[in-house]
Amino acid sequence: MANQIGNYSLYIALIASIFLIFQSSNSIRSKSKNLDSKIFSALSVQSLMVFISFFSLIYAFIISDFSNETVYNNSHTTKPLFYKISGSWGNHEGSLLLWLLVLTIFLFIFLINSKKLLIKYRLLTVLFQELIIIGFLLFILFTSNPFLNLFPIPKEGMGLNPILQDPALAIHPPILYLGYVGTSIIFSSSLAALVCGMVNKIWAKHIKKWIIISWIFLTIGILLGSIWAYYELGWGGFWFWDPVENVSLMPWFCLTALLHTIIVLEKRNIYQSWTIILSIATFSLSMGGTFLVRSGILNSIHTFANDPSRGIFILCFLFALVLLAIFIFFIYQKKNLKNISKSFLASKETAILINNWFMMFFLSVVLIGTVYPIFLEVINGSKISIGPPFYQKLIAPFLIPFLLFMAVGPNLKWIKDNLSKINFNQLILFVLSIIISYLLVKLYGVNYLFAVPLFGLGFFLFFLTVRDLSSKDSTLSQKISHFGFSLFILSILFNGIFAKEFTSNMKVGDEREFMNKTIKFENLKIIEKNNYKSLVANFNVSDNKGSINLSPEVRIYNQPKTLTSEADINSTIYSDNFLVFNVIKDDGYYNVRYQHKPLMLWIWFSIILISAGGILGYFKKDD
Amino acid sequence: MKKIKFILYIFSFTLIFLNSLKAENFDQVDKISKNLRCLICQGQSVYDSQSDFALSMKILIQKKINQGKSENEIYDFLKNKYGDWIVYDPELNKNTFLLWVIPLILFVFGGILIIRKVSIK
Repeated sequence: MANQIGNYSLYIALIASIFLIFQSSNSIRSKSKNLDSKIFSALSVQSLMVFISFFSLIYAFIISDFSNETVYNNSHTTKPLFYKISGSWGNHEGSLLLWLLVLTIFLFIFLINSKKLLIKYRLLTVLFQELIIIGFLLFILFTSNPFLNLFPIPKEGMGLNPILQDPALAIHPPILYLGYVGTSIIFSSSLAALVCGMVNKIWAKHIKKWIIISWIFLTIGILLGSIWAYYELGWGGFWFWDPVENVSLMPWFCLTALLHTIIVLEKRNIYQSWTIILSIATFSLSMGGTFLVRSGILNSIHTFANDPSRGIFILCFLFALVLLAIFIFFIYQKKNLKNISKSFLASKETAILINNWFMMFFLSVVLIGTVYPIFLEVINGSKISIGPPFYQKLIAPFLIPFLLFMAVGPNLKWIKDNLSKINFNQLILFVLSIIISYLLVKLYGVNYLFAVPLFGLGFFLFFLTVRDLSSKDSTLSQKISHFGFSLFILSILFNGIFAKEFTSNMKVGDEREFMNKTIKFENLKIIEKNNYKSLVANFNVSDNKGSINLSPEVRIYNQPKTLTSEADINSTIYSDNFLVFNVIKDDGYYNVRYQHKPLMLWIWFSIILISAGGILGYFKKDD
Repeated sequence: MKKIKFILYIFSFTLIFLNSLKAENFDQVDKISKNLRCLICQGQSVYDSQSDFALSMKILIQKKINQGKSENEIYDFLKNKYGDWIVYDPELNKNTFLLWVIPLILFVFGGILIIRKVSIK
């Protein structure tokens, strides 16, 4: 029953979509003065239908309705209720339905929130957004329908991949999607604004809220993914420069650039074309990301759902959208955009341009690193891997000037500032930071080439933002985010450089010495749970300051049959103790991996601070 | 005042460059295996993986080190055996030339664009 309801509501939404496209283009042509009430009702119907469809899928998951193919493939009766629900968007079909749901709801919110703006602009945004929505509807209905019937009805489902049965990963996709899909509104509305010739301060003020909100969700979404990778994948890292991770980082760079540029547009009414280009690029990267992940082109830890045939559809669809955007851009650019006026060397505008410059560079490194192997293989068949060393080599040196500009830039004035006013105060802080980092590196014998300048500028940004935090003016949100970023860089550096780890094969009762610490394998229990069997080990890690107990697990899930290692992590504000073990062979030995990771919590905390700056900016009263 | 500023600048830059590379006492096996793809796993390095492939690979690396092979010799040996795919850090050659160069070209290009848009005075 739920199957039919879900399916038919999608068809009604499709009809609404077609109607909306015709109706909005008609209204635009007839230059109507008011928003046709039909458009509003059709949009309400569409949102409601997608909503119903989404909830009938969740319902099918909750009651384990195995007549639904998606439920059969991704669920199991013994799975806890929470994961039954989250399982509905943990798979390809369901996740697309979630995309669609957010698309329609966002458009609905947009229409309500834009009442003060030009009617033509609102209609055009509806039109462009509906073009995206109809693409997704067709894609879902004809290549990835989540409501396919199975007959005869199976007794039991295939189960959800156990590494996905995790609270962080349950909410990671929805949050990330809110960010991704938010960029679709930015895309549609920037094209609409371009056509209406209203790429100006008023539009900037309006769309800035959407940019900030998408940026916050994207940031938090990436954070959740990293936290999950850290404790679930069992190798103690949180970022592997894996293609699927990169795919979420690319729109983030673009959106961050846009977040800065839109402020210039708002205050100074310049960089109009660039703002539009960034809006188009951000959305294309979000869509492209979905394409890359869903098509299965990427070789990655995350490829639990892939099907090459679907990729073709998204690729063509994306191509059509980008082509349309470029077409509109070139038609209206001359007519409706003024050429960028020059800005002065020492000004906030230039500082933001420099931010964009670096963002685009980081983006290009990640983009090329991600797609290069695909193209190379197509062109001459050679397979190469591009992993962390590549990204570190290209990004780390460029972080040095980037941090410097980030520290100095926000203190510059709009339009024109005086460079020679770099004050003594700042210089003292700079020298102090360099001395601290020099001593740090010397004292601990760090042998990383860029350690001194990176630490030094990290500290410099830290000191400057701390100093500025106390001064009261309207840019508190920016200061908090930049302060968060300095914390982020510093904790990553400390974490990366001072992490210690130890691997050994141990059996119960064994003791190992490592860096003044004693690691003891105390005992091993077997626990039977509803949907898995668990080997729970108990380790004691002690040094002269005290001892901690860590109980990592190895879980043997029954549906589908999978072995996962659950790390046990003891977190303090200074460092994390991370311990994970694995079954090797049946001779009683287990592979044990212990890691001591300084300032791990601060990495998460700093990203939360960065987003908190965004949240503050969102609620800031317009001045 | 200006002199003091100047001296402070010089001082901090000397500190930055004083830090020369010293003391290479990494665990070589760890260092090398971090840079190798575990061929039978999904997106994991040999170092991070506990698969049979990864374990035997670590033993192989240790053996090669004991034979007195250098890091690069070990990479070359593995590349011959398994293909370039196994190394995470692609070396600069005719296949990867564009990979390393495009981002840098874009960076320079962006810099030129900014300089053209900014007036010095």
